[in-house]
Amino acid sequence: MQLTVNGQNYNVDVEDDMPLLWVLRDELGITGPKYGCGIAMCGACTVHIDGQAMRSCSVPAGQVDGSEVTTIEGLGSPEALHAVQAAWIEEQVAQCGYCQSGQIMAAAAFLSINPEPTDSDIDQAMSANLCRCGTYPRIRAAVKNAAAKLQGV
Amino acid sequence: MMLTRFLILIAFTLSATSAIAQEDAPIDPQEGLATWAKIFEIVSHPRCANCHVPEDNRPRWSGAHYGLEEGEWRYHGMNVNGGEDRFGTMTLACNACHQQENSDVPHGPPGAHVWMLAPVEMVWWQKSSGEICEQIKDPERNGGRNLEEVAEHIDHDHLVHWGWDPGPGREPAPYSRKEAVEFFRSWAAAGAPCPDVAEATQDYLEDQALPETAE
Repeated sequence: MQLTVNGQNYNVDVEDDMPLLWVLRDELGITGPKYGCGIAMCGACTVHIDGQAMRSCSVPAGQVDGSEVTTIEGLGSPEALHAVQAAWIEEQVAQCGYCQSGQIMAAAAFLSINPEPTDSDIDQAMSANLCRCGTYPRIRAAVKNAAAKLQGV
Repeated sequence: MMLTRFLILIAFTLSATSAIAQEDAPIDPQEGLATWAKIFEIVSHPRCANCHVPEDNRPRWSGAHYGLEEGEWRYHGMNVNGGEDRFGTMTLACNACHQQENSDVPHGPPGAHVWMLAPVEMVWWQKSSGEICEQIKDPERNGGRNLEEVAEHIDHDHLVHWGWDPGPGREPAPYSRKEAVEFFRSWAAAGAPCPDVAEATQDYLEDQALPETAE
């Protein structure tokens, strides 16, 4: 099947029901998306599919044939960080860091549809991305910081 | 000429009488109510009611699958909220996790071609049998459908069908899709009686009953 990941086209020979996360990590060597729970409960595997945040551990590869997939590797670059990545560094969000690629992908997609979120909006959008270190106050601060950056404030 | 007019008049009269007789065909409200009770078993089951929720837009988790006793419930985990559009578009879309098919992993996310909360006017969560019965008949609150169109909706909608095919470990809604459609059409044919209506009918019949004959 044909996959476009971070702007690059790939032909992969996998079963249609293989989870996208497996394709990314095991077939393409793109290891930014993490395996957490495997049942869409934790958000560590979050990627963008056609711009929308989705749990790659639960998306069958056959469902995204022809779609455009973006992982944390394709969101920004060290030279040109995405606003959410920059905010993450400024707020020093990460503790162990395992969840942060999923958190950042979820936040970036969220801010693309809701550029001026309230605290409640942020909580609703981000609560399904779990952080076992408990960095939630810093996550919320970083999302607000990123929203301001994207607004040019 | 007069005879022809007379025969035409007779024909019209018979036709009209027949139509009225059909409209006034005796219905058995008790039979209709018994059928409605089966429909209520279905629509009040967790597979249906958990996503027919009120204005808070928060899907519920109830039922044995979640390790809960009968009558116990909790909100969908992780503060999930379907929002006013009921797809979660403005925060976290339902289909971020719920894909087009059921996950085959234990406790994995269930899925269907479209995954969303039911429109808010179709709230079933913790509503009584009578309340749901009146709602499901009301085009203002059932998606603008007549009763046959509701039956067709049950017969053809993929997300409705999911209730009987909810994936591993989840108890399906009672009966089957085919039976549900049959129940609905049978209930409609019986005049679509609702529990409150039946109580009124019963009171009326009791008022009309002849006094018992003395021994």
